[in-house]
Amino acid sequence: MRKLLDFLYRRRTFAIFLGLEIVCAWLIVSFNQRQNADFLNSSNALSARISTGSQNVSDYFDLIEINEQLMLENELLQARLNANLAFADGLSIPSETYLVKGARVINNTFRRSTNFLTILAGQEQGISPGMGVISTAGVVGQVKSVSNRYATVYSMLHPQMLVSSTVKRTDTNCSVQWDQESYDKASLKFVPRHIGLKVGDTIVTSGFNSVFPPNINVGVVSDLNLEDHMTFYEAKIKLTVDFTSLPSVFVVVHEMKLEKDSVESL
Amino acid sequence: MNRVNIREQVSNFIALFLIQLPLLYRITLWDRAFGFFYVGFLVLLPFRISRSYLLVAGFLTGLVVDVFSNTPGIHAGACVFVMYIRDLWLKIVVDDTEELTNINYISIKKTGFTLFVFPLVLIHHLIIFLVENGGLHLFGLLTSKTILSSLFSFVIIFVLNYLIVPKSRRQ
Repeated sequence: MRKLLDFLYRRRTFAIFLGLEIVCAWLIVSFNQRQNADFLNSSNALSARISTGSQNVSDYFDLIEINEQLMLENELLQARLNANLAFADGLSIPSETYLVKGARVINNTFRRSTNFLTILAGQEQGISPGMGVISTAGVVGQVKSVSNRYATVYSMLHPQMLVSSTVKRTDTNCSVQWDQESYDKASLKFVPRHIGLKVGDTIVTSGFNSVFPPNINVGVVSDLNLEDHMTFYEAKIKLTVDFTSLPSVFVVVHEMKLEKDSVESL
Repeated sequence: MNRVNIREQVSNFIALFLIQLPLLYRITLWDRAFGFFYVGFLVLLPFRISRSYLLVAGFLTGLVVDVFSNTPGIHAGACVFVMYIRDLWLKIVVDDTEELTNINYISIKKTGFTLFVFPLVLIHHLIIFLVENGGLHLFGLLTSKTILSSLFSFVIIFVLNYLIVPKSRRQ
């Protein structure tokens, strides 16, 4: 025992080096598990506050863009309002209810090989891990972890995000996953070869996993490849959300998620 | 043996580390070059510090950066590795380490500074991008990111060092 301790003391630098690297490896692995309430991420109060500060500065330079986006949002809402008034007398079908909560983006990366957003909304606003995040243009990501007033969100540009979606024209189920190459493209998976997929087809969310409401835009098919031996199309989509300018997002709160999940697990 | 220049270390800490935090991933050149110049603070810590302390300093610094970038363990691991090889590398690059305490572009000359800092920055960036990428796929993108980012960080470290080191010693 003494000899072992002596040995460790003589090699203490190497022992400390090895010990710290093992701790780092453990941190990397445990962070990669999907959702957790870890404090070692950007929703941590101190780091989020500093991010808010630097975002406040850069927001001044983006005011024109933010105003333009708000105007577009208003137009869209106005159009929806008109449509709703027209159908107000129609038959009502009970549908799942989704609430959306607006949140400001205080940190957003899109050029890394794993990307995250930090948003200014947390537990106090009723946000919890696993909720979907959208913008007016389409799917943005999914909440990874929350603190009291901030939340860290997996961007759509993260290889672990797999969005259950459908081809709008044919109602075919498929999945969308980012392939780490560029911030405006993702790959479309599991579209079987008998479906006549075309360039220009719109891909929307399916609404099956109760993270996103159905019919939220994901992207538009831009590249197609089908060879004789392949069971599924090899396709790329252009994402509808522009991740380079994303001043605010909406968090989707699915009121009956718990009930739905418990029925499905029976 | 000179005394440790506290003022220089504190300025390094503020200029290289504290300024890095709000700017992390916010300044990007050519879509590829991210500046992780905080590693300059670690690399330029005084030479006489025991290596065990250097390792712990590397770990803590890396961990703080990790919190900001949502990569727990990646920056910390890279920093610990750089701190482990730092003194060994310095002894290889700089001939005369007898009198050396404060590491800056005057004490080890400009060529020595480049030869000492740039490879360490390159290794640090390589580890980060490799682990974050999760493997060797997209090799071209990975290599260009690593090289451009290291150049970017090195230029920032060099310029800040040039500004920080006291005028009296610039002759």
